[in-house]
Amino acid sequence: MYNYEELSINEIFDLLRKWRDNNERKSNEIMSLSERIMDNLDSQPNEKYLILEQLIMADLDCNYPMLAAKWIEMLDADFPDSLRVMKFKSMWYEAHDNYEQAFGILNKIIKADEINAPPALKRCIAITKAMGMTNEAITKLVEYLNQFMSDMEAWQELSELYLQVQEYSRAAFCIEELILHQPHNHLFHQRLADIRYTMGGVENMELAKTYYCQTLKLNPNNMRALLGLILAANNLLGHYKSSGSAKRKEVWKLCQWAQSEVTKRQREAQGSNDSALTSAMLALTIGD
Amino acid sequence: MAELLLDPKIRFWVFLPIVVITFLVGLVRHYVSIILSSHKKIELLQVQDSQVMIRARLLRENGKYLPRQSFAMRRHWFNNEDTGYFKVQKRTSNAQNPMTDPGMMTDMLKGNLTNVLPMIVIGGWINWMFSGFLTTKVPFPLTLRFKPMLQRGVELAYLDASWVSSASWYFLNVFGLRTIYTLVLGENNAADQSKVMQDQMSGAAMAMPPDPKAAFKAEWEALEITEHKWALATVDTDLLTAE
Repeated sequence: MYNYEELSINEIFDLLRKWRDNNERKSNEIMSLSERIMDNLDSQPNEKYLILEQLIMADLDCNYPMLAAKWIEMLDADFPDSLRVMKFKSMWYEAHDNYEQAFGILNKIIKADEINAPPALKRCIAITKAMGMTNEAITKLVEYLNQFMSDMEAWQELSELYLQVQEYSRAAFCIEELILHQPHNHLFHQRLADIRYTMGGVENMELAKTYYCQTLKLNPNNMRALLGLILAANNLLGHYKSSGSAKRKEVWKLCQWAQSEVTKRQREAQGSNDSALTSAMLALTIGD
Repeated sequence: MAELLLDPKIRFWVFLPIVVITFLVGLVRHYVSIILSSHKKIELLQVQDSQVMIRARLLRENGKYLPRQSFAMRRHWFNNEDTGYFKVQKRTSNAQNPMTDPGMMTDMLKGNLTNVLPMIVIGGWINWMFSGFLTTKVPFPLTLRFKPMLQRGVELAYLDASWVSSASWYFLNVFGLRTIYTLVLGENNAADQSKVMQDQMSGAAMAMPPDPKAAFKAEWEALEITEHKWALATVDTDLLTAE
């Protein structure tokens, strides 16, 4: 991490740019830098408004509504009637739990510009979720995805929501959609395997095993996938107990391999952190 | 052959004015096109269509990472004869005559106003005003083939090919000022005429908006013949043998 006291003002702006480009929120970090940013804001005429937006987000996240209001007013003075500024206003109301007002503004934005409505639509869904109306949020999000089908963020959010209401097969569908978009992201494979494991049953367990394997292929350091593989393989061993077939042998081998991997990992990390979880996992496995 | 001597007045009254005029016209063009540019409105349906196309393409390309059942389910959703997305969604063909669309007409008119018109007017005016001068000489010998390019308007059979006539000097400026515009106006400015010419030659300026109906049909066909090949079939043995 950076030592924020020592950064020069140019480094700070570089850092802000980097966070902005990578879509990182970093609200706490921005707040700790905010005083120096404010003092030097005018030295960056090109990026001034982008930085202001970052500041507003950070203020709202860290509960400094007065500061945020000040910046929003500043933006509003320079860009009256801007939809982008309106979105921040709605977020300000949202931060005050004044959802009615926020909805009002967002609906205005959506009416004004249908094509660029996605951010506003997403905020609507987020508010619905914040109000605890998960089912409504799901309905809205499905509606949204009908129109904007290649929005990965939305698919991910939908899968989370489905998980909350325990619609596992639908959540799995959403994750599969994400895998289609980014087949080389190991975390998606891992998540799909988690869901399949939770669903249970021989078929799902086989899929969970396969996807855990794929995760490990993509990223051999994914510990969660390794432990998940052990659990899935153990579960399968339970299912295949009677058959004694080739399948059982294969799973057995896989299980052995995963266990040896975990032990190896554990030895490497010995002393550095507690291995209570790993040993607990190993205790669950079926001995020779 | 005796060395030609140019009147220094040609420098002040022909050579430099042509540079300045071409440059200023480019600047004016840039700002006029900014004023005239209309915000192109996209239909919501268009966005939706393009996103569906992306999703279908991804299914074709990355479908192998999904279990067979999931793949089949998605393909069914897109391609089913009765309920498939590509079958149910009826899009009107957009390949109508652009003349009937008033928005497109204004766009074309504006394009002509900022691109073709100045070229004809200024080019014609320069040709008329400054015709018949030799303006400068390139500092290296050239073959006879360059004569029609560099000596337009001065048809002297025995003149050395490295002399540049005023009309040709104008064209050299039109094409050569691009980097200067980039310096002054930044990237993607509208001052550059040579880009317009390229567009006209390649026909890109007349490109039609993509027709969703045809695109849907093509995607339907492509998806129909896609075979599912489960990429993760051997992943567990791969893991074991990788050691």
